[in-house]
Amino acid sequence: MELKTLCELPGISGREEPVRMAIYNECVEKLGKENVTIDRMGNVIAHKKCADENAKRLMIAGHMDEVGLMVISATEDGLLKVCAIGGIDSRVLVSKRVKVGYGENALSGVIGAMAIHQQTAEDRKHVLPIEQLYVDIGAKDKAEAESVAPVGTPIIFETPFTLFGDHKVLARSLDDRVGCYTMLRLLDDETNYDTWFAFTCQEEVGCRGAYGAAFRIQPDIGLVLEGTASNDAGDIPEHEQICVLGKGVAISFMDHASIAQPEMFKTMLAVAQEAGVPHQVKMAVTGGNDGGPIQRTRIGAQTCALSVPCRYIHSPSTVCDLRDLDAQYELVKAFLQK
Amino acid sequence: MDIMNFLKEQAVQHGPSGHEYEVAAWFKKQFEPLCDSVTIDPLYNVIALKKATRPVSDGKRAPRVMLAAHQDEIALMVADILPDGTLRMGEVGGVDPRILPASTVTVHARQGKNGYEKLLGVVGAMPPHLLSDADRQNNYKREDLFVDLGLPAEEVTARVHVGDLITLNGPARELLNGRCAAKSMDDRACGGALLQAAERLQTMTHICDVYFVITSQEEVGAQGATSAAYGIDPDLGIALDVTHAPLPSSRPDTTSPLNMPALCCGPYLQPKVFARIRDTAKAHSVEVSIDTASRRTYTDGDALQIVRAGVPTALISVPLKYMHTSVELLDTNVIRESGRLLAHFLSELDEGWDNDLWS
Repeated sequence: MELKTLCELPGISGREEPVRMAIYNECVEKLGKENVTIDRMGNVIAHKKCADENAKRLMIAGHMDEVGLMVISATEDGLLKVCAIGGIDSRVLVSKRVKVGYGENALSGVIGAMAIHQQTAEDRKHVLPIEQLYVDIGAKDKAEAESVAPVGTPIIFETPFTLFGDHKVLARSLDDRVGCYTMLRLLDDETNYDTWFAFTCQEEVGCRGAYGAAFRIQPDIGLVLEGTASNDAGDIPEHEQICVLGKGVAISFMDHASIAQPEMFKTMLAVAQEAGVPHQVKMAVTGGNDGGPIQRTRIGAQTCALSVPCRYIHSPSTVCDLRDLDAQYELVKAFLQK
Repeated sequence: MDIMNFLKEQAVQHGPSGHEYEVAAWFKKQFEPLCDSVTIDPLYNVIALKKATRPVSDGKRAPRVMLAAHQDEIALMVADILPDGTLRMGEVGGVDPRILPASTVTVHARQGKNGYEKLLGVVGAMPPHLLSDADRQNNYKREDLFVDLGLPAEEVTARVHVGDLITLNGPARELLNGRCAAKSMDDRACGGALLQAAERLQTMTHICDVYFVITSQEEVGAQGATSAAYGIDPDLGIALDVTHAPLPSSRPDTTSPLNMPALCCGPYLQPKVFARIRDTAKAHSVEVSIDTASRRTYTDGDALQIVRAGVPTALISVPLKYMHTSVELLDTNVIRESGRLLAHFLSELDEGWDNDLWS
């Protein structure tokens, strides 16, 4: 699947169905129906065997869901009140376009705010929390809003997938369609592991899908393919940048969900070096991902997260570098052949 | 003219105050089939003249009516280039910094090694993972935000220069009930109302020479309207601009209903002309609301009123939500109705219109 296609599919946490079905279909096409399942949590699990029956069980995880919004009510004048699905700083929401609902019947909406002319000095300082923001779809009144966008309707940011600058891509859902994209590429590659690809759901709301997936797979090793926060643009001191776009795949020693086993971390660095894959160490302990549940399900597994650095993550306009995406793929590919 | 299409097309034209050449050329094309002459003056005002089609009495000249709607948009400019190639922003017209984080913009690099190129930029925002509670309590300031072009620093400095303009990206989106959201509805939507009026006048007659003027530099103080009006020397002026429609958080007495044009009254606006427009609306069942301005109207009307020996001036407003953002939202029917009201007003303007303006 093209990265563009994958990024443009809508799939907020808990409502990943368009992404899930596209990924399921591609896995079936490549590995056969008997090797692909959608588990009871909604994860897509694709199995690729290797010749060695005693090979270690490897789980490669990337999450299908993205951050977004959900309708929680409508006001008397037809505006949609919303909540955030996943961690979103409300300061990135003002003056953005959204799609309300999925598919052909999705509606355009905008998130507005009071004009600067009408703001008091106090207003200008005041951060608008999500409780004071709303999505305007042009509905006349509450009844119309409720009929076209009932409570629970998923909302995604509307940012066209765009290539720009120097190998850069702008999209809303790079976290973590980049990981899904790399996994789909890896389906074609040889592997020395009993390899299980887990396209997980609900990562952005507490890694809910990965628990069940790891329980089912019982991996010895878990690799988490992520899009991770980079803070490298502007006048940010080097030690606060986390990781840098264009410098390769970011290998994590630790985040808020898990500590990479030192051996695993060292192995990944060694594989990257041997294979000549551009890489960097993620220089901060931030965020958390499916590595946590995978590491600690049943008797536990060795894990490590390998990420594509993403600027402006969890906002409508996330940016990554296509060369880092290639590096993520090349690193895992080299690891599979070890 | 399809209003929704018009709004979609305007949203991809660029024209910060003082740099309206692109949008002016586009507006000129729109008026050409409908008017006797269309010119662009030195300030980039587009002046479209539709001459009188009904004679006045011997010895009199056709009254000149100037209609004004502005084409310039709020924008930003490159204020500084940081060592990593990201750009600091200055403003051209009032841009609310709250709309900027994670927005996309177009950087108009005009003096670089590749000549004039339009570069996509993203305004950066910190990852929420790194934000402290204190960070979340403070709005970003424009001075602290930056534009990321995704280019290495040496490419940026070879192509982009301080002073290059930055426009907001705000493609039009059709919403329910004929509503539409886009950038620069303020005030090109009113330019659409002028086009609607010009279209209707094709099959109506009028004693006045009608000057449809798409003005420049309104957002920085109605500069274009001043020189356009000097050149035209109108007997009567009508400004069309946007006003605020209600939001849940706004004071009711500061807004006008979204679904109808608003007629403004106040000291800067000629009371009999106001009454005449109001009566025309009533006669043709154009639903309007009335709003007030105790002093300045913050539109081209303020400039028009005191050009040369003075011009009796009126103001018709199109209410919109979220003014000066990239999602300015309005009801397309208001554009249609404003155009219809104007056409009737112009067609019914008679020779005695200015007999006792002040009695």
